[in-house]
Amino acid sequence: MASVVGGIGASHAPSMEHIYDAGEEVRQSDEWQPLFGPFKDVAAWLEELEPDRLVVIYNDHMDEFFLNAYPTFALGVADTYPVADEGFGSRPFPPVPGDSRLGWHIARSLVADEFDITICQELEVDHGVISPLPMVDFSEGDSGWKIPIVPLAVNVILHPLPSPLRCWKLGQALRRAILSYEEELRIVVVGTGGLSHQLTGPEFGRVEEEWDRKFMRLLAEEPESLTRYTYEDFIKLGGTESVEVVNWLAMRGALPLDAKPLVEAYYAHRIMGYGLQTFEVAG
Amino acid sequence: MELTQDYLDRLDAVQPKNLPPTLDLFDEETSRRGMRLNKAAYSLKHEEQRALFAADEERWLDQFGLTAEEKKLLVERDWIGLWRHGMSIYVMVKLLGVTGTALPEVGKQMRESGGANG
Repeated sequence: MASVVGGIGASHAPSMEHIYDAGEEVRQSDEWQPLFGPFKDVAAWLEELEPDRLVVIYNDHMDEFFLNAYPTFALGVADTYPVADEGFGSRPFPPVPGDSRLGWHIARSLVADEFDITICQELEVDHGVISPLPMVDFSEGDSGWKIPIVPLAVNVILHPLPSPLRCWKLGQALRRAILSYEEELRIVVVGTGGLSHQLTGPEFGRVEEEWDRKFMRLLAEEPESLTRYTYEDFIKLGGTESVEVVNWLAMRGALPLDAKPLVEAYYAHRIMGYGLQTFEVAG
Repeated sequence: MELTQDYLDRLDAVQPKNLPPTLDLFDEETSRRGMRLNKAAYSLKHEEQRALFAADEERWLDQFGLTAEEKKLLVERDWIGLWRHGMSIYVMVKLLGVTGTALPEVGKQMRESGGANG
């Protein structure tokens, strides 16, 4: 049977793409090393862990889904996920490999568990997936992506949003879906987004380091306490766009309660609180 | 009683109501107001729409049933005005490439706006 062998929480942002694409020298510059250095630790950890699949809980930024019909939860069941053109041309990455069979199993399991997701046989993934992914799942050169993914998108853009409690329960349901899959796959669950940022209005650029660090602490030690926060709380604490942190909460819901944080990094820089946190699961 | 307190609490929490005017929400009101503008900006995920924008902005503008006021906001690159008229930041960034605008310029306008979009 399949198992959940680890978890990763990571911010996503176009800035991470620009810096990644600028090359190793820029990534390791004084300005960006605090963000990209810890990703090397994550990559090394993953290399040792050798997961077979990543389930990536993320949010789209109107690069695939639009306001004509916005899905609350959407699951990819494809064998390949092209990289979305976000308005500047696609980044030069090959499509990300998927796992259709696993995707469909998760779809059936979630629906059996009363999570009635939108099922996507075609899905272009944007920076919600692609901005942190190359740091943990890409070999530069010809070898391309190493680990197939199953993407799971959460609506954090058009209110009403699924509640933090609902996202936590989604993670728990995802865990059951993985544990009931007959193939012996070792799976790492990833949640992307946040942490604090505010991109609109007079508070543009606001970053809340103290809250971000508290969020990561709570996620590690008392994750269920975060299900009692409302979106009004999250917006006041970390900014309008910080509500993406529910993707981390869903990831945490897919792990055992006693999962332990391993790599932990935080970098408040320019207009973002960048967080990175991996979780070990006792074998 | 079908409408339990637990249900009423959840219904209450689903729509943030007590945000300060400096913190906005993209919700029923904003998304209804901004539908035409958001459609226009969303189109720029397609290369051919970006090419049309570059070649003939007026013709690009004519595709989305925009009001004269909305067109004016776009032509004047009035980011704060576009936001107040319901444009989501996530499609607004698609306008940055075709208009040669850097995000800090949008940020500067946002910070100087001094008020909400609601």
